[in-house]
Amino acid sequence: MAKRKNRRHLLHTLRIVSQLLFLGLFVGLLVATVLGSPLVRHPWVAQLFLITDPLILLGTALAGAFSAALLAALVVLGLSLLFPRAYCGWICPLGTSMDIVDKVLFRAMKRNRAAAPHLRKIKYGLLAAVLVMAVFGLGVFGWVDPICIATRSLAVVAYPIADWAAKTGLVAAEERGVGAAADLYDWASETGLFIRDANFKEGSPGIAYLWLFTFTAVLLGIWLSQAYQKRFWCRNLCPLGAMLGLVGSASPFRPRVSDACIACDACRRGCKMGAFQPAAGGERYRSLVQECILCYACEREFCPVDAIHIGAGSSGPVRPAPGVLPGRRAALTAVAAGAVIAPAMLLDRRTREKQETNPKLRPPGSLRPDTAFLAACVRCGECMRVCPTNALHPSGLENGVAGLWTPTFVFNIGYCEYYCAVSAEDVEAGRLTSTANLCGQVCPTGAIQPLTHPEKIDHKVGTAVFDHTRCLPWARGEECLTCEEQCPLPEKAISHRTEEVANLDWLAMPESKRNRFEDLEAKRAAGTLSDAQREELAAMPPRTRRLARPYVLRDRCIGCGTCENVCPLDGRSGIRVERLQTRTIQ
Amino acid sequence: MIHPLTRRTFLRAAGTTAIGVAGAGALSGCGGGGDEATYAARPHPQAEAWRNRIGLAQGGDDPGRNVEAAITKLCGSDGAKTFVRQGDVVVIKPNIGWAQVPEMGATVDPAVVATVVRLCREAGAAAVKVFDNSVGTDAKCYKFSGIEDAARQAGADVFLCKRHRFRTVAFADPRCKRLKEWPIYEDVLTADVLVNVAVAKTHNLSYVTLCMKNLMGTQGGDRGKMHQEIHQNLADLNVTITPTFNVLDATRVMIEGGPSGGRKDQVVRAGTIVCGTSTTTIDCWAADPAHLPWPKGHHDLKAVEMIARGAEAGLGTADPAEIEVRA
Repeated sequence: MAKRKNRRHLLHTLRIVSQLLFLGLFVGLLVATVLGSPLVRHPWVAQLFLITDPLILLGTALAGAFSAALLAALVVLGLSLLFPRAYCGWICPLGTSMDIVDKVLFRAMKRNRAAAPHLRKIKYGLLAAVLVMAVFGLGVFGWVDPICIATRSLAVVAYPIADWAAKTGLVAAEERGVGAAADLYDWASETGLFIRDANFKEGSPGIAYLWLFTFTAVLLGIWLSQAYQKRFWCRNLCPLGAMLGLVGSASPFRPRVSDACIACDACRRGCKMGAFQPAAGGERYRSLVQECILCYACEREFCPVDAIHIGAGSSGPVRPAPGVLPGRRAALTAVAAGAVIAPAMLLDRRTREKQETNPKLRPPGSLRPDTAFLAACVRCGECMRVCPTNALHPSGLENGVAGLWTPTFVFNIGYCEYYCAVSAEDVEAGRLTSTANLCGQVCPTGAIQPLTHPEKIDHKVGTAVFDHTRCLPWARGEECLTCEEQCPLPEKAISHRTEEVANLDWLAMPESKRNRFEDLEAKRAAGTLSDAQREELAAMPPRTRRLARPYVLRDRCIGCGTCENVCPLDGRSGIRVERLQTRTIQ
Repeated sequence: MIHPLTRRTFLRAAGTTAIGVAGAGALSGCGGGGDEATYAARPHPQAEAWRNRIGLAQGGDDPGRNVEAAITKLCGSDGAKTFVRQGDVVVIKPNIGWAQVPEMGATVDPAVVATVVRLCREAGAAAVKVFDNSVGTDAKCYKFSGIEDAARQAGADVFLCKRHRFRTVAFADPRCKRLKEWPIYEDVLTADVLVNVAVAKTHNLSYVTLCMKNLMGTQGGDRGKMHQEIHQNLADLNVTITPTFNVLDATRVMIEGGPSGGRKDQVVRAGTIVCGTSTTTIDCWAADPAHLPWPKGHHDLKAVEMIARGAEAGLGTADPAEIEVRA
């Protein structure tokens, strides 16, 4: 690290304060986006970072899934016209987290900040590729958008892990009789700091999401790539950074190198974004406005002759300096890649839909058909965070490659809460016009629409179907009906009928005893049973028994998955929600 | 500058990591319900004498008043003082099982819970706790039923279950024929007095759900597994977790769509409160179609087998003729 010559520039300090404030806001908003919090009634506040993300605005617009809320991103675009990548240096929570990790882990590491300058071109290619794929109706830019990455990382990785660790620690202390630990646990639960313990009714505390491991790896990859180069992601991969840099190309506000420059190369080697470059002619260096994140380190810390000053003045050339953008061939390759991969994904999706037995069950209010959903969903993970029963998880490939990390129901883990966002007052007043689905309330792009309670019932996630090879009354002659008991509909979608079924105890008798049984039965029918024989027959199990067996009333089922969730079988449930059938088979 | 990796550095790092991991493992590993817990709440001092006796109050618009009246009819003017002593920790286990508003009759009327809380506090309880391991999403059940607010206002400590506070209890009594053990919520096990407050509803599997079945709210684990031979399982549960006192809220009776409910036309007003020391006896009286407005042909007493099993285990009577009604 270059030794700091002078005291830090005031704006450098202010930037750090700004970063911490926005990171705190980001974390705070996500933690507060939960069932029962007043924040969910003001979703624009909860989604603040996502709806002000210009890449999400552009991507969804191109994909044909534009939503008015996203116009808030124009504020950031306006900011970037003047201060191109100030967002990256002052606001972006992913960037802030990187800086923190860098300070903690890699401060003493010697890294060549000027290494591999050609890598920075990748982000422009990536931006082009994902925008082309958006044109094809795929919201896959969400995989690589930094705010989506940050939201997913916090909601699916960091918060559950921190929650589990805190709970485990407090529980261990509580078991040792530390009363304060129990009180602290209760307080954290009541205030909503702890994630609500969803539905498993015993065992170690905490919740988790599918794909947690992969998201952790992605986050760690982004953080630890800084072992090679500070802000590696921002410099070389971030498509939002690329976009903001390009938007601000004509900005009058940029680092300027004065004539005092002695071309000592200190700035190029010192800048963590590699945003300095020797100008043609070799006398003076110039800054790269598309790369600079306005961190204000260069103003005081590198230049031995104080030739660098960040300020307004004449706009530089709009066209990026050589070495910033990929060459024509590389750019065309990126576009072509997007144009080839996108249709491949669409064909893959359609094939999956036909082949896949594991159905794609989307949150209630999801746009239909699924292609419309894929165009709008940016895979941010807000719906997964807010679902009060931990029912929504990132999907894998069962919805096609294009559907990776979009939300899907896992009913073995949670279920779609009947009265989710509906309050008791609403029910009592019979006034069911407020939004009923929390997922639809927090979705920033409207991929999941907010629905009223009657609309949510009408939407139908899927239809429950009994698996007669698993369900206890059907497969094993044992009584149950837990699914019917807990079906939340006022007119239940599961009913039962008491039927005469084979008695397994009778079947368990050896054949000789069964023959004896038949003989005695015949004698009884003929009225020739002796007293001893009557006793013998009474001691034997009956051939059949009466057992209540459940049936699904298809027309009523809304596919909420409560039945599948509460089925007492370990492993696959005896009743499962399957995809809605099209046309006449309901 | 990366320090070169010397033998010393490696051993130091490895040693620290090992200690750290072992420490964390030790911290989280041991403890946590290794010892078996037992249910220790006091039985009612008159439990033997009042095994076949119930207190009954019917009529009027005030469920709270009926609660007081029923308890007085059974226990005399001492009322709750017969089972709550000065300084007791009392746990009240009402049915807060479903996210339904009170009119749906799926949960206990909040006024009933508030009255029981008040009576226990007036009898000298040091602490009164109210909770239920709800079937639905618990935070919503507590709010929708109105019980959270009503009980808090009456001075009770109302809390949601925490997953780690279930303790495995051995069902060691020889009268338990099916269940060997089950996780029960900690506060039930440390209580001096357990008051079981149930609501009268039909049930899709057991025909009715009254006081005996209400105890399932003290259980953790996978309760769907109680449904295989539910009647014997409930008898075993009642043998092990025998409440000090029971109140059955039949202010409203859900006669269809039980136990989850959801339609006002499935609920009939009955304005009745029953109390007693025996879940079996109360259920025997309440399940009888002659006493509460169950739908015609829905069930007869024999169909509700849990009552007979409870009587077999000596918990009460299954014969309505044996019940002494103090009305």
